[in-house]
Amino acid sequence: MISINFEYHRPHSISEALEMFGELHAKGKEPIFYNGGTEIITMMRIHSLYTEARAVIDIKTIPECTYTGFQGDRLVIGSSIPLAQLQEMPEFPLLGKTCSRIADHTSREKITIGGNICGTIKYKEAVLPLLLTDCDLVIAGDNGINEIPIQQVFDKHMLLAPGSFVVQVLVKKQFLDLPYVSKKMTRIDRIGYPLLTVSALKTGEQARFAFSGLCDFPFRSNSVEDALNNQDWSVQERITNAISQLPAPLLGDAEGSAAYREFVLRNVLEESIAELKGG
Amino acid sequence: MIGKSVPRKEGNNKVTGAAKYTNDFSVAGLLHAKLLTSPHAHATIKSIDVREAKKCPGVRAIVTGVDYPILTGSAIEDRPILALEKVRYFGEPIAVVVADTEYEAQNACTFIKVEYEILPVVNTVEEALEGKHPLVHEEFKNYTQVKELRPDPTRNVSNHVTVRKGNINEGRTLSDITVEIDVSFPQSDHAAMETRSVRAEILPSGEVYLHSSSQAPFTIKQSIGKYFNINENKVIVHTPLVGGAFGGKAAIQLELIAYAASKAVGGKLVTLTNTREDDMVSSPVHIGMSANVKLGATNQGELIMAEIKFLFDSGAYVDEASDITTTAALNCTGPYKINHVWCDSYCVYTNHPYSTSFRGYGHSELGFAIERAMEILANKLKIDPMELRIKNAIKPGDTTPSQAPLTKGNIGNTAKCLERVKELINWEEGQVVPISDRIIKAKGISSLWKTSMSPTNASTGAIITFNKDGTMNLNVGVVEMGQGTKTTLTQLLAESMKVDESKIHVKMEVDTQTSPRHWKTVASTATFMAGNAVLEAAEDAKRQLKNNAAYALRCKPEELEVGEARVYLKSNPKSNVNVKDVAHGYKYENGNAVGSLVIGHGSFMMNHLTKKDPQTGKGVPGPAWTVGAQAVEVEFDTKTFFYKITKAVTVLDVGKVINPKGARGQVTGAMCMGLSWASREGFTFDENGIVLNNQFRTYKTIRYNENPKYIVEFLETPQSDGPYGARGLGEHGVIGMPAALANSLSAAAGVPINQLPIVPESIWRQKRGGVYDINKF
Repeated sequence: MISINFEYHRPHSISEALEMFGELHAKGKEPIFYNGGTEIITMMRIHSLYTEARAVIDIKTIPECTYTGFQGDRLVIGSSIPLAQLQEMPEFPLLGKTCSRIADHTSREKITIGGNICGTIKYKEAVLPLLLTDCDLVIAGDNGINEIPIQQVFDKHMLLAPGSFVVQVLVKKQFLDLPYVSKKMTRIDRIGYPLLTVSALKTGEQARFAFSGLCDFPFRSNSVEDALNNQDWSVQERITNAISQLPAPLLGDAEGSAAYREFVLRNVLEESIAELKGG
Repeated sequence: MIGKSVPRKEGNNKVTGAAKYTNDFSVAGLLHAKLLTSPHAHATIKSIDVREAKKCPGVRAIVTGVDYPILTGSAIEDRPILALEKVRYFGEPIAVVVADTEYEAQNACTFIKVEYEILPVVNTVEEALEGKHPLVHEEFKNYTQVKELRPDPTRNVSNHVTVRKGNINEGRTLSDITVEIDVSFPQSDHAAMETRSVRAEILPSGEVYLHSSSQAPFTIKQSIGKYFNINENKVIVHTPLVGGAFGGKAAIQLELIAYAASKAVGGKLVTLTNTREDDMVSSPVHIGMSANVKLGATNQGELIMAEIKFLFDSGAYVDEASDITTTAALNCTGPYKINHVWCDSYCVYTNHPYSTSFRGYGHSELGFAIERAMEILANKLKIDPMELRIKNAIKPGDTTPSQAPLTKGNIGNTAKCLERVKELINWEEGQVVPISDRIIKAKGISSLWKTSMSPTNASTGAIITFNKDGTMNLNVGVVEMGQGTKTTLTQLLAESMKVDESKIHVKMEVDTQTSPRHWKTVASTATFMAGNAVLEAAEDAKRQLKNNAAYALRCKPEELEVGEARVYLKSNPKSNVNVKDVAHGYKYENGNAVGSLVIGHGSFMMNHLTKKDPQTGKGVPGPAWTVGAQAVEVEFDTKTFFYKITKAVTVLDVGKVINPKGARGQVTGAMCMGLSWASREGFTFDENGIVLNNQFRTYKTIRYNENPKYIVEFLETPQSDGPYGARGLGEHGVIGMPAALANSLSAAAGVPINQLPIVPESIWRQKRGGVYDINKF
């Protein structure tokens, strides 16, 4: 049960949403945009997040946010699309597979792609395929509605100006059907937070890799990719070098120690490289 | 009716969602209570300021520890209702807020300002025994002991139980070979679907009404009376269907807080239901343990001696932990004949959540230690682990570690259970079988036993009344918590009365005002105790029916028999009268009435149980021992150390199977619980004693599709004093699962796995010799 009283608002257009945010902000209600609401429900009830929010703005009924389909040479995914739906969507199998391992089915019916990448959870596994495909994000905010390359707005977490929200994800067709791997390892169950999740995409002779659960944030790193693609080295050397290039220390937490994560990472990378080579 | 899989009497109501549990209740004027709990594991409370919280909307009252400076506990009175002066575990209740709505109560909790002074944390049983100050209980010497304990307060020990059987020095001398192992596991959760819930009201007449999701409504009555100085006869407790308990709902905790909360608002009806987080750590948990086991045997594999040390993590308060410490000691060897046994079992305070009973009650804990030691002994002796167990299996004529004599009537056939498991798990195929270059199949086995330690005079009763149509109403004080006892008791009555079970209406709810007193619904004793009471009540009802029928049939009562809803002449069954016509006296055709209204009653009391000797442990702790054997099969990836549990087997000697599907359900459920506990459950504490996984998002239990194939079979060696020979079976499926899993994975990985839970990382750590070194790949 959430013990804090707050207002619920449901705008029907992007402009209405932005306007609402401005008004509520001016009234000191610390509004937040939201999609699925799972993080609000689970964190507000234990009083650990959003405790200052006195208004929430539900963007799920904004038409652009619920749209999926092709526009020109790009696949458009509305930010309000739930993970369970992406899982069933044949157009972007890497995204589908990655999303299919986030949380459990009941939660995936609620959790949206926008919510997963913008929330506070450190794993944000849905962002991995987006990082690998150089997608653009449609972001609505004070500066209007803009398409911004994901690399410019995602660094460890989303860098969104207050009062802005992600409307859509735009992925170029050329990336959708490339060979890929997506592997999630947990402490023991199929369902749970990751020890690590690896998504990889084969673009020509090169492979791209993005990781979640390994460090405190999800990432794609050029130096890690360079190491993993270095054909002068053996697979083991590539992996060892990649590990030395990680952007932050390996995570050690209740899911697993840092040393164990490294062990799991080595196995998973070895398998991934082998699979991508085969593919 | 015996041996028939009668569907649960309450089944339709449950599967349609119509069944009502304690918290399925609302009424105008109902007030809601919420707990404020401690964010620290050990700290002095310097001040609690409730002024801001009292101003919050809807708030009616706030109660803190100083309002009720009393100490409670079933073994030793060490636990305040709400923390007094200091907090001793993460999640300990500090204050309760009563408000018009639940959210207002919860909201007000955030406005209570508590000032703490953090104290060093006693975070393991080993640290506790070092006895550094501050102790968990500095004032221990001033506490009232309710049960006989042997404490060592300077080392945080609340109870030290010793078992001395035979002569340990002789045992050491006679042993050709000895093995020694250390095992351990942390505390864990009961994970019942229904979180604990209670509702309290104090009427102007002075009567106190409580509704509680409890295994012990009659104990609640006693406790409320005792701690609040109320005549017990004024306390009335209702327990509707309970949504899973597993031992966790036998402790009295929220009831005391709810009473205090109601009192604070002038006796108005107040409801208090745990959040999942509170249910996991604020209310009592499954005990943790560290143990050291030494086993001695001859070269031929005959067990000679056992030297065992158990350190039980009782957490911050004792509750049932001291009795679990005792039970584990008195049954420390598992179902094996060993002549020389020394056991030292310690109940140790730490700054962890407090421990209470959990399905298996000490036997799963001791079982894990012993069965791992047996496996290592077998390896060292190079004897087949199955053969070693069969060779040493305990039998009638032997004695238990507490020197209780075993007879044909009080123990089943362990060796036969093992023999059957051997076939069912295809043991001959080999313990370890490769199935690909990476994957191997491995098996692990375990024996098990369990007795039920109760007060030596634990008792129960049953009442049978009749409807006008001759159907019966059965009223017992047993709580229905998913175990299906009410259906089993119905079957026993139906068998005795020779009618279909549909002719019997069993009351699901327990009402302490009208239900016959039943000790507690614990220890797999309900069928044994209440079953015997039901059979006695049935005899009583039959006697009365015969008396009434004697008028109708113009004969002596002893010439009559009851069956198939009739009372008939033994010599000529065609001469009979309907039960419905004699259940309420008998009316002659002219209107004259004779006889009496039939009300059958019966009772049962444990007998021949004796207190244990304080030095040697000698005594008879329980009425009988259920024995069994179990096995687990896993598929193990030798590269990643991930594994899948593919098969789990139990063969249990239950005396008599009353409801086959019900029995299978109980055993399978318990096996699932044991595997879940062994493979993934357990609280993770940080260095400050904070529980890091008090939510299901981080505390994992086995999921539906992660279950193995379950194979369950029963042997029927009758228990001489059990109803139709039946023994208890509710808990037993859990007992051998942890050891069987650990034995299979130890065999698969080639390293000893002696800690629970067994996640792949634990195996990886063992493979590396227990050393963490990031550079050593």
